[in-house]
Order: sequence, then structure tokens, then C-alpha cells
Amino acid sequence: MYRKRYHFVLGIAILLRAGVAQTPTASAPQRALSRLAHPAVVLKDETGRNVLETGKPISTRQTCGEKCHDYEFITGSFHFQQGKSEMDRNLLGSHGIAPFNSSPGMFGKFSLIPNRQLTHAGITDAGDVDMSQPEWLTKCGGCHTGGGISEYDLRGQKFLSPAAKPDGPLDPSYTIRDRETGRVVPWDWEKSGVAEADCFLCHVPNASRGARRKQMTAGNFRWANNATLTGTGLVAEQEKGTFTYNRAAFNTDGTVKPETLDLSDPAIKNCAMCHGFTARNTTTIQPIQFADIARGTEKSGWIYNGAKISETVTPKIVGKEKMDYPWDAHAAKGVVCIDCHFAPNNPGRMIHDDPKKNLRYKPISEDIAVYLKRPDHNFARGNIPPETVNLTSHNTMRACGDCHDAEKGHAFLPYKSRHFKALACQTCHIPAVHFWAYRSDDWGFLMDTGTSRITFRGIDGSIVDPESDVTGYLPAYITTPDKNNNLQIRPTNLITGVYWFDKGKARPVFTWQMQAAFFAGREGEDWKYRPEIVKAFADKDGIIDIPQAVYDTPTKIALVKGLLQKYAGVGDPELRIDVAPWAMSHSIVGKKQATKECTACHAGNSILRRPVDLNSFLPRGVPIMYRGKNLNVVNYQGKEPTFDNQPLLSSFYIIGNSRALWVEWLGWLSVAGSILFGLVHGTLRLLRGRL
Amino acid sequence: MNSSTALYTLHERIWHWLQAAAMMLLILTGLAIHYPDRFPLLGSMANAIHWHSWIGFALILNAFLGIFYHLTAEKYHHFLPRMDDFTGAAAKQARFYLYGIFKGEKHPLETDPRRKLNALQKIAYLALLNILLPYQIVTGVLMWGADRWPQFFDRVGGLWVLGPAHTLGSYLFLAFLVGHIYLATIGPSPWSHLRAMTVGQETPVQTAVE
Repeated sequence: MYRKRYHFVLGIAILLRAGVAQTPTASAPQRALSRLAHPAVVLKDETGRNVLETGKPISTRQTCGEKCHDYEFITGSFHFQQGKSEMDRNLLGSHGIAPFNSSPGMFGKFSLIPNRQLTHAGITDAGDVDMSQPEWLTKCGGCHTGGGISEYDLRGQKFLSPAAKPDGPLDPSYTIRDRETGRVVPWDWEKSGVAEADCFLCHVPNASRGARRKQMTAGNFRWANNATLTGTGLVAEQEKGTFTYNRAAFNTDGTVKPETLDLSDPAIKNCAMCHGFTARNTTTIQPIQFADIARGTEKSGWIYNGAKISETVTPKIVGKEKMDYPWDAHAAKGVVCIDCHFAPNNPGRMIHDDPKKNLRYKPISEDIAVYLKRPDHNFARGNIPPETVNLTSHNTMRACGDCHDAEKGHAFLPYKSRHFKALACQTCHIPAVHFWAYRSDDWGFLMDTGTSRITFRGIDGSIVDPESDVTGYLPAYITTPDKNNNLQIRPTNLITGVYWFDKGKARPVFTWQMQAAFFAGREGEDWKYRPEIVKAFADKDGIIDIPQAVYDTPTKIALVKGLLQKYAGVGDPELRIDVAPWAMSHSIVGKKQATKECTACHAGNSILRRPVDLNSFLPRGVPIMYRGKNLNVVNYQGKEPTFDNQPLLSSFYIIGNSRALWVEWLGWLSVAGSILFGLVHGTLRLLRGRL
Repeated sequence: MNSSTALYTLHERIWHWLQAAAMMLLILTGLAIHYPDRFPLLGSMANAIHWHSWIGFALILNAFLGIFYHLTAEKYHHFLPRMDDFTGAAAKQARFYLYGIFKGEKHPLETDPRRKLNALQKIAYLALLNILLPYQIVTGVLMWGADRWPQFFDRVGGLWVLGPAHTLGSYLFLAFLVGHIYLATIGPSPWSHLRAMTVGQETPVQTAVE
């Protein structure tokens, strides 16, 4: 009885908390509910003892999972598995995902931006090793919140348990490629420890991803969750990567003072630490947070912020004086991330209808106690390209139409249903992006930093220089199926990559292979090009400047192909272009700023067919990949290569823009013939005096 | 001087001019829809679509009223070609337009209130009123109903079929209109046909071109 009541009160507390997690501002309406705190907690170590007594790292498995929350259930969800639980070739194949990916999630899929990939389990050749599980954790574990991927090996054995043993000398769960020697060496799990689920990263408002990242990067997984609490005053970092506890942050009974952790539903700030939208209502946009880059912002320039663009202090937004409206209309209204991307079984947020069963309201929903015990962390999400992550949760989020009745608005718009069927809401409600984003990432030719050449759109200058002019950019338009499988036109940022593909192995060429082909060695961080490369690409000064690092002749492509074969053992390398569209769902503008002019789309110079610049240095005559398929979406006719979306929009007839050429010819010829007949006939009548 | 004959009744004239006005407006608003950036009429494409639809329905209503009138007043026979109209009479009329008119020959048809249309006119109106107009009405109504019966709209090919089809019909109407206006000047005087369709009276054409 007591337990039920406890769960009820706790549930109400957390549900109410969800609405008031943010400090209201003038432009964000305050949610009036008062806040109830999470009960005080005892922080326990892996043995279940109070860390104040033992001084050991916090174990969330013990602290959160021992009595109140189902740790295994929670960490079995995507936010902790990141694709590990979806490593199924049939599943990948059924979604059109190339087999060189081992999962559809971040833990297993190839990503062009770092040109890295998790090494497949069961490999027997050192040449097939790219990024092992420990290396993945050091590179990506700053955001990816422990549990699952950092507690279990690829065969499902719990690290440091008796059953956890490497399956051969190349087992990617127990090895790492040494950066200096290039050899595959064992990873010492005893030394690193495992990173349990970092509940604090999302549920503690003052969580520090930067501090967590530092420990993960150093391979100090064991203390990573403690590091996240650095900003709360609860812990202090010591030498050698250990942490001590501040007794002042604890009550006399050994529990943590509630205000120290302030446990709550994730605030925008928590989500933003990894997804990169900036915090709410800020006039200083910081997409580069905690010393590394937040992907969500850099891929499309998303800014989820309720403050007006015109009030932005940093960076320098060109033309902001005229932008007297918020960065995002939803943020300005006080909508938080979890309003749309909620835990699917949260009774306070879940979608209660069941269209498949013709129910507008489904009375049999989750009990609050069940939810609190087993909150589903497969958060509701949409389905926008090119993301493939969390396949089983696609199109589960609260979409635009779940809150807005578009048919009741849009009085100016004829044929509403047709428009809403053919256009994503974002197409009109993200008419422009006022921030910078990735433009290209060229892994085809490595720079002397040993890595790729990256360019950005929407900024004049460096992205880390606050004095750079942020000019923003206009989106490109692609088509994607909506949740009803109707093709819709939607805005995107295009990130164009150039990379080498190993046709023999049917996978992208790894970065270390590229480095072996391009460089004879390195001194510190300066990589020394091979003489063959210098001879072919450098000008008279012997230096390869950026304009020279291009494949402007087939000979140069053939040269690098030969070097890849000779020095990196790549059997059949092929240079490819990949045009990746990154769809947009944030930086939404309201009706005043949304595109309303019909001629924006229904005209000869429709924005839908606007040429969007790609990478200036794209090679010619190489295969062009678009969303995993060979599709020519590059137009080389102009000064610079541009995006050609004709193959995508060919299924849309846009009145005022689309033309059936034979109709136009036949039609105008008939009109011209009629006019000509009148002119000739009339002239002859006039000349003959027969009018 | 020949005496004037009453050729067109008030109903016929009202019907004709309403139809002509509707077609002109449909062509203009159609241009504003087909080339919204080059013919920015009525402020916006949405307005052009709005008025195009209403005028289209006005034309349909007028067409049905016209059918009703011609049937009940037994005037439909003016539009019914005889077999000879497709052959000998049509050839004669064509020869007149292409040759005889310049030689000052007599018009092959002696127009009177019982026979107002020559063979080529009958053939042209047969095609216009029985093929092109219904075709244009059907394609137009289907496009208008894209939001009202979307499944049927898609089943008949959607905009990919109906858009070009309706556009082609519009061009043919425009071509007809140009020719029709020009041929209206081929009378006893350039204005006599126009006058007849305006006030109803016209001098019979047996000596129209002399």
C-alpha cells in the first residue's frame, strides 16, 4: 500500500516537474505548476554502499536501479544501445541500409563526417579493424550515455564478468588500434572500468558533458558519471582521474541534498549538450559547447531558442536587425524537447489515440507506477533523412498535426489537403536558416593534418571566431516519405562528401588506410605527404595548398588509387561522391515569417528547384551516391557544382513550374497559327480591297 | 441597300457574350495560374485560382442554360451539320475563305434567321461545344476537386495528367478565340458580324462581298 502511494506521489512530482523545468522569460510563457522534487537519493557504489563511506565511483545501476527504476529495461533502449540491439543483417537489409554497417544506429553505422566505423564482430584480418568498441567509447562516449554499449561486449557478455573474454586477438570489444604504431593491441578493461548508464547527463540540470567527455576520452570510463556531476558541487576531480565527494552536498542521513542534484525531467539544456540546439532564450548562440562540436547544429544549423534573432549578441548574425522574431517559434512558446520527443509510455505525454484500432482515446494506458519503474527510453522520434537510428521508433513522436489543425488555419492557401500532403510543414516554416552548417567533408584527399577538408555554408570566416559574419543559407529541397508513405517535399542542408570506397570489401576505405596511402610518416601532428603525392599535386614551391588538393584530372585519381592499393592493401578502390541531405525540423518560424507567396514554388524560378552549391572541388566522372543509391544529383553545368533535385522532384507536377513541353509547343503553335492566319488573311484582304 | 434581318435573339446574344466573357476571363486567370510570375494578375496565384474556379462554374452554368434554351426554343438545329456540311459545303466554304473572298465572289451561304451558320462554323462549333468544352470542363472540374475527391483525382492520373491536359485545352480555346475574333470581321463590313451579335440585326450576306 505504502509503495503504491509512494509511486503515485513520485509520479505526480515528476509529471509536474516536466512543465516547469525552465526559468521563464519574457518571450517564454511560464508554466504555472509548482514543482515537486525527486526524493532524496543515496549515491551508491557498485557494491551498494554509500559512496560517502567508500569513496568509490557512483554506480547508477545501484543508485537508481536497485529499488526504484528498472535499470536493465531502461538501458535496453536506444539511447543506451545506440544500435547495439539492432545488429541484425535482415533488419538492415529490410530498411535498405548497406551491409557494411553493422547496425542502423550510431554504434555500428558508417558515418562520413568522421569517416569511421565500428569494427564488425568476428573479423580475422587486422586490415578489417577500424574503430573498436573501446575506441568508439573514447571518441563518442562523451555523449552516448553509457550502459549497454559500455557495459556489454558485442557478444552480449558483461565486461569484467567471468564470461567476458575476447574471441580471438582481434575481438573489437577487447582491442584498440594503437595510434602510433598502427597495431591492434588489447584494451585493459580492468584499468578503464565500465561506464554505467549516465542518468545524470540528462536528469541533472547542471550536468557537465565536457567533464564527462574528458574522462571518456582518457579511457577513464569508471569515473565518467562522477565527472558529469562536476558542476553540481557534489564531486571534485583529483589527480589521476579520481573524484572525491563534497560532504556539504549531503544530508546528515547520507542522502544527497535534493537541490544539489535537482533531479528532473531533461531540460532543453540537457538535450542541447549533445544534440546542439543551444539553451533556451539565450542571446549567445553556442553550438560549440564544452570544447567540442554538437552535431545537431552543425549538420543543419538548427537553433532551438526562444530568444529573438534580432537580440543575438554572439555570433554576428548578418541582417539580424530585420529579424524581429524568435530563432524557433516553438521554443518561444515554451515547448521543450520532451513535449514532442517523450518517453512513449509516459502517461502524461503519450499519444492516447490508436488510429490502427480506430480509437481517438485509448483508456488502457500505462499506469504511472509502471512508467516510473520502467520508463521507456526509446524516445518518440520522427523519421527524417538521413538518420536511420532507432528504426523501431520511427514516426512515433508528436508530429505537427498532433498539436496543430492545419486545415483550420492557412486561410490564404488553396487546395490545403494537397499542399499538406505534398509539403512537409517545415518546407514553408523553415524558409531560411540564419546560422551556419556543414557544407562538405572531403575525405577523398587528406590534408596535411591527416584528416579531411571541411567547408561550411552560411558563414564568412571561421566557425569558432565570434567576429565571423554568419550569413545563413537557403535550404535545398528533397523528397522523403511521410509516415503514411506519401512523398513529401522538405527542406534540407546538403553535406557533400568525397570518399574512397573499397569495392573489393564493399565498404568505405578506412581513415588509417587513407593515411597510409597519402603519407610517408608524420612529425607530431604534421603529416608528410608521399613524394608521389607531392609531385602530382603540389605547385612549384612543393607545398600542396588547398586549391591544389583537388582531383582535376583522371590521372590524379588513378595515382591515389594506385597508392591505396600499394600502401594500404585496398583491393579495388573507387573515388565516390556522397550527397547527404540533412533534414530540418527546428528553427521553425511562425506564420508571419513562413513562406506564403505562391510564386515561391509555383513559378519558373521556383525555390524548390533552387541550385544549391555543393563542394567547389568535386571531382568529375565519379559515381555520385545519394542516400545509399547511385543517383546523379550533381549539376556541373554552372560555375560550381550544384545540387540537381530534378530526379527527386520528377514525381511532382507543380502548377506554374512544371511544364509538359509537347503541350507547350503544340499549344503555342496552335495559337501562333491562328494569329498568323488572321494576319496573312487580313493583309491579303486589305491588299485586295476586300475588307 | 439591303434591309436588315434579325439574326440573333436577345437570349442568344446574352448567352454568347456571357460565354465569351467567361472564356476571356478564364484564359486570363489561367495564364496567371500557368505563368504566375509573368502574369501576376489579381494580386496572387491563389486569387487567380479562386476566380478561375468561380468563372469556370459560371461558364458551366451558362453552357447548360444555353443548351436548355436551344433545346426548348428549338434552335439547336443551327448547330447540327448535315452530311453535306462535312464534304461539299465545307469545301465550298473553305475555298471561299482561301480564294473566293479575295476575288470578290459571292458568299456560298445565304444567311438568314433559319440558317445562321456555314458548314465550317457548324463543324467548328460541333467540335468546340461537344468535345473541347466538355473536355475542358471535365479536366477543370477534376482539378478543382483535387481536395474534394482526392482518391478519384489520383486515380485519373492527378496533376501529371490533368494539368497538361487542361493546359492543352486552354491553348486550343485561345487559338479558337483568336480565329473566331478574326473571322468575325469577315462580313459585309468588318463590324457587321459584331454588330449582329450585339444588337441582333445584320444585313444578309448574299452580297456581302462584292
